[in-house]
Amino acid sequence: MPDTLLFLLIVVPFLAALGCLLLRQEQLRSLIIIGTGGLLTLCALMLMASTPFSAAPKSILGISVSMLIQAADFFLLGVIGYYGYKHRNLLIQGLAVLQFVLLACFETFMVAPGKEYATFYGDTLSLVMVLVICIVGSLICIHAIPYMKEHEHHLQLEGSKQPRFFAIMVLFLGAMNGLVLTNDLSFFYFFFELTTICSFLLIGHDQTEIAETNAVRALWMNALGGAALLVGIMWIYSKTGTMDMQAIISAGPKAALLLPLALLCFAGFTKAAQAPFQSWLLGAMVAPTPTSALLHSSTMVKAGVYLVIRFAPAFAGTFLSLGVALAGAFTFLAMAVLAMGQSNGKKILAYSTVSNLGLIMACAGINTKAAITAAILLIIFHALTKALLFLCVGTIEQRIGSRDIEDMRGLLTAMPWTAVILVAGILTMILPPFGMLLGKWVAIESSSQQLFVIVMLALGSAVTVAYWARWAGQIMSVSSLGAREPELQPMLTRGPLAALLGGAVLLSALWPWVYNRVAGPGPGLANPASAAVMGFMIVVIGSGFLWAVNAMRQARTARMTRPYLCGAPENVEGTYVGPINQDMPVILGNAYFTSLVTEDRLTCWVNMGAGLMLVLMIGGAL
Amino acid sequence: MPVSVIKDFIEKSRLKSPWLVHFDCGSCNGCDIEVLACLTPLYDVERFGILNIGNPKHADMLLVTGTVNHRNKKVLKNLYDQMPHPKVVLALGACGTSGGVFREAYNVVGGVDKVIPVDVYVPGCAVKPEAIIDGVVTALGRLAEKRAEASASAKE
Amino acid sequence: MKSLFLALIGMAVAPVVGGLVSGLDRILTARCQSRKGPPLIQPFYDAAKLWGKEVTATNPWQAFCAVMYLVAAAASVGLLCAGSDLLLIFFVQAVGAVFLVMGAYAVPSPYSQIGAQRELLQMVAYEPLIILTIVGIRLMTGSFRVDAVFALDQPLLFKLPLLFLVLGYALTIKLRKSPFDISACHHAHQEIVRGVYTEFSGPYLALIEIAHWYEVILVLGLVSLFWATSIAGMILLVAATYAAEILVDNVSSRMTWRWMLGSVWLSGLVLSGINLVWLYAR
Repeated sequence: MPDTLLFLLIVVPFLAALGCLLLRQEQLRSLIIIGTGGLLTLCALMLMASTPFSAAPKSILGISVSMLIQAADFFLLGVIGYYGYKHRNLLIQGLAVLQFVLLACFETFMVAPGKEYATFYGDTLSLVMVLVICIVGSLICIHAIPYMKEHEHHLQLEGSKQPRFFAIMVLFLGAMNGLVLTNDLSFFYFFFELTTICSFLLIGHDQTEIAETNAVRALWMNALGGAALLVGIMWIYSKTGTMDMQAIISAGPKAALLLPLALLCFAGFTKAAQAPFQSWLLGAMVAPTPTSALLHSSTMVKAGVYLVIRFAPAFAGTFLSLGVALAGAFTFLAMAVLAMGQSNGKKILAYSTVSNLGLIMACAGINTKAAITAAILLIIFHALTKALLFLCVGTIEQRIGSRDIEDMRGLLTAMPWTAVILVAGILTMILPPFGMLLGKWVAIESSSQQLFVIVMLALGSAVTVAYWARWAGQIMSVSSLGAREPELQPMLTRGPLAALLGGAVLLSALWPWVYNRVAGPGPGLANPASAAVMGFMIVVIGSGFLWAVNAMRQARTARMTRPYLCGAPENVEGTYVGPINQDMPVILGNAYFTSLVTEDRLTCWVNMGAGLMLVLMIGGAL
Repeated sequence: MPVSVIKDFIEKSRLKSPWLVHFDCGSCNGCDIEVLACLTPLYDVERFGILNIGNPKHADMLLVTGTVNHRNKKVLKNLYDQMPHPKVVLALGACGTSGGVFREAYNVVGGVDKVIPVDVYVPGCAVKPEAIIDGVVTALGRLAEKRAEASASAKE
Repeated sequence: MKSLFLALIGMAVAPVVGGLVSGLDRILTARCQSRKGPPLIQPFYDAAKLWGKEVTATNPWQAFCAVMYLVAAAASVGLLCAGSDLLLIFFVQAVGAVFLVMGAYAVPSPYSQIGAQRELLQMVAYEPLIILTIVGIRLMTGSFRVDAVFALDQPLLFKLPLLFLVLGYALTIKLRKSPFDISACHHAHQEIVRGVYTEFSGPYLALIEIAHWYEVILVLGLVSLFWATSIAGMILLVAATYAAEILVDNVSSRMTWRWMLGSVWLSGLVLSGINLVWLYAR
């Protein structure tokens, strides 16, 4: 059974990608995407029944798996080198050549056939990742169908580039599934590089100048991570003589392995866009929104945190672990502060992604069982909510032509349905009884023994609430007396949004069950949000919610007054009668603290601080 | 029984907690200074639960000083409309009650009652703080009367 | 079952006590200014009057936010009385704070919007301090739960003196006292009309007043944890702290958000850092 599921989860997306490329007909492509999404979701759910499992498929469609992966490794490095050459980037070329040489040496001289082991392995962590990738990723791909149609309509292209776009999107899901299910370091390296290439192609999809610059930046940063990963893998192999990840992890912390593990963590930090590598993820927002949604929520950056969480037991209790926690917590705080100074909605989302991944990294670094559980739960809820928020912003941007949150002021009038979904999404990000906050709660409780980590988490979480609440507040900022028009949207746009929000709310309500399922049995794992506490919160806040909805309905019949402007008369809505009887517009704006949080200047300091943290982290492994 | 107790308490509270908003329509500031003097320790109107709240949306009483002119009559009307019922209006000083010495001026509409209904007129130039406090207490009587009339008409 | 019962009692009694404390506050403040001040039950007159006023609104969403603010404030007091997790209590009160801000944002009036932004800055200032205080309590008791505090045989104040000061900072902001009353003043004077409260009127303002009473009780409850070994000690500590808050309110002027954020983060972090280092070093 696992073998079949593995085939469906990893290989079918590759075939579907091929289908998207070859069958250039729109309806057919939509059908392939929806079908693949449904199949992946189904397989992921079925995988729940058979975890934990291990499997060692020897061949696929008659070709030896390890041969195939080896060949594909060199091909991928060739592709990276080609793009480095095409964009005249010496760094990428150098990294590609370096990895090519290293890999060639490694494969020819070092790797000796050892004893058999499972090349694929699934436990709770992989299962959670597969579920997130398949369900959230598929929903994003489905939302992309109407989005990309509108996007290309807007760009007025000569020929459609959608086949290529969707092929890479679906391929990405397959690569991620492979990455989280494999138990072989060389396979892991292949899938890791594959996600790098996919993200590079997606970021540069629109082929504008800025898109290409940002794509190249993403490529070199991630190639750097890939090189670190390869060196780490070679090092680990030379010390242990095995590529079996479970064998390495279950052996527990070993002093000799710390430095290669630090390199692996470094690779995870580049992939997860942790400071000082956040710039590639920030640049990625030039791509069409589904790309950002995919990169930020269910794939790519989650591969980075997955890598660190996966290997966390192998460095538990060491200084490296503390280094990871400090670097993660620092990223959490610094990115939250940077988000405070932004008015670009997508940039706020991007900074918040990096910030939340920092929190997950910090949990992995604290490295107790409760902290790891918190990290996994944060992955689930972050993926759901962040995908939702990105898709909302993309939908809004196509309608109002701006991604600036100042332009979303009073969005409730123009797009009532999407506005409510967006506000609800933001609230699931910061308030109890929703999963993100409960995860943060467990994280703070388990980090109470680390002074610096807890101080940074405390500061960061306050700032986080502020920048989200500001955005949610002004979306509802409306004084219009006129009737609102109902909002029309394609089903494929609206469905994924509703599904993502519903998923986040439902899983939050099921928190005690989800927690136990993820944490598994074990001591020291008392869930602070127990069923009793959650029950109290759901009953009180839930009934409060019903009362509030009722109050809102009654308020619709109340006498409507105008906003208080010192009684200044108002002839036209949104203006007041000023000097010489002119209608002066009422212009409201948020403070973005530009004197304190200047992005350029602060980023420079943050990168320096984060660089020091990385040196601390890797140096601690010496 | 408890419902009527609560209702009675609410009716009593209306007289125990008059919150004021003070609007200067174009006074010479003589009356305004006297209004603020009511807050000082000498007069201490907070004894009666009176607060100068400065916001029509929270206020029960509108205190208007100065003559109404063509420019600020709309502002006065707006402020009055933004106050939730039940509410009362006090016109303070010679200017507020009638337009005072400016009533014949080309730009002047006249007293406050030309624009909004006035419940209590407090004369003086400038009004004395004692007179203002007396006016507020009289206005509370008016408020009670208004409530009684309203409940009587509701019963019919 | 017992904790549920305690939570319900707390949620029922808290607004009464909170209203009386607010009344006492007004009298004491008046006495500080050599005035007589209103009757003790003046806050109840105010709330009842507001409840009886006409319902007016600019945006129906305001009603939603006002109700959620009250519910969250009541729930946090309930959790405190039930002896629940301190961080949970803190997070639930943050729900109320966020909805108050959203309600103020709901109306495009400059006064309430500036108030909302200042309120957010106040949250940024006090939230880390409260979390750090809770972490200090955790290090003393070995648990995040309120009932663990009552199991100690020595008042927390002796081991967490600096964190108590830090909590005092946070509470001054939370109680809307000078010099930190920048988003809306507890008293009826403010340079931006009534800040976050500006656009709420009638019954909605009454709900917000009651929610504020709950918050006063929550704040005083947190203070009382620092002398949890005896009832007399609790009352004495709460009374002394509140009196100090009133004194600070009357002798200081309103400051800017910049000053607030700078001073609160700097002094708060230094003080709590020192106190936490003592605890870690034990």
